[in-house]
Amino acid sequence: MGVRIKEFRGTSLREEDIRQGRVLSVSYRPKAQYLWSAGVAIGRYLAELKNGRIVGRQCDKCGRTAVPPRMFCEWCFRPNDRWIILKDSGMVNTFSVSYIAADATRITEPLIPAVIQIDGTTGAGMLHLIGQADPKKVEFGMRVQAIWKPPQERTGSILDIKYFKPAER
Amino acid sequence: MGFTEKIQSPKDITHLEGEIPVNYLYTVGIAGERFLRELKENAKILGIRCSRCRLVHVPPRTYCEQCFERLRDWVELTSEGRIETFTICYFSADGNRLAEPEIIAAVKLNGATSAFVHRIRDANDRDIHIGTDVEAVFKEKGDRVGSFLDIAYFRPSRRVRSESH
Repeated sequence: MGVRIKEFRGTSLREEDIRQGRVLSVSYRPKAQYLWSAGVAIGRYLAELKNGRIVGRQCDKCGRTAVPPRMFCEWCFRPNDRWIILKDSGMVNTFSVSYIAADATRITEPLIPAVIQIDGTTGAGMLHLIGQADPKKVEFGMRVQAIWKPPQERTGSILDIKYFKPAER
Repeated sequence: MGFTEKIQSPKDITHLEGEIPVNYLYTVGIAGERFLRELKENAKILGIRCSRCRLVHVPPRTYCEQCFERLRDWVELTSEGRIETFTICYFSADGNRLAEPEIIAAVKLNGATSAFVHRIRDANDRDIHIGTDVEAVFKEKGDRVGSFLDIAYFRPSRRVRSESH
């Protein structure tokens, strides 16, 4: 309550009042399931990750190779031209050091999400994690190398790469 | 690969599956609280009358939707009314075919101005038409939880049933 408002109008309720049935309530959980097609470009990208390699799409007009791939060049507004098989190394384009996990719990070993610009590509890059690294020493432009899951554990997911670790320059 | 390719099942191609958890919990409100408590405790249906435009709202609310008057005059209604309109459903809400079709009707209780939607059961199809007299069948007291479904269903009133036999 502020200085001017001494009392809020309405019925004050706490979650406890609802949980303990002091007031009647309605509760339900709709099934919000989804199934989303990965599409032509991401479909092949994921299939190739299972094969242990990173692929991009190259545009002949601007020369750029995009990872993750898409079937058009958003710089030139035209369909791009060919698949390029790339190295599994790159550099840190941007990164964050997070002491909070995805479910908002506190963690002592930080996660280091980063945008990795794969060698041979231009602009942006793939969002992934940095591992085997001192969080204080991660920096923009740092060279990194993909660490893959063993082939039999790969599922055609971005997590077929476990993380990127710092590499020699 | 092109646009002529026919995919029969979306799971045949690379896809991502997931589920978004969306949990709802909301209170039934001031008018709803009194209405549902009365239904649960005493198997009685309450309405509320507008002192200005005389509309009788069932289920009750705190404001008149016609004239925006604050509503205070609670009235007890009978559990009898008539079918205003109805439909016969052969599919459930999730799209599966029902073993037995279900009749859903807008029921206006005697003395009420507004109608609400409820189920009709225990009825011959030929008895169901606009204007059929119906009565509420309540759940047993121990089974009532303070929900509109504490009225288990409506069925044609005794007069309608005896005439059809």
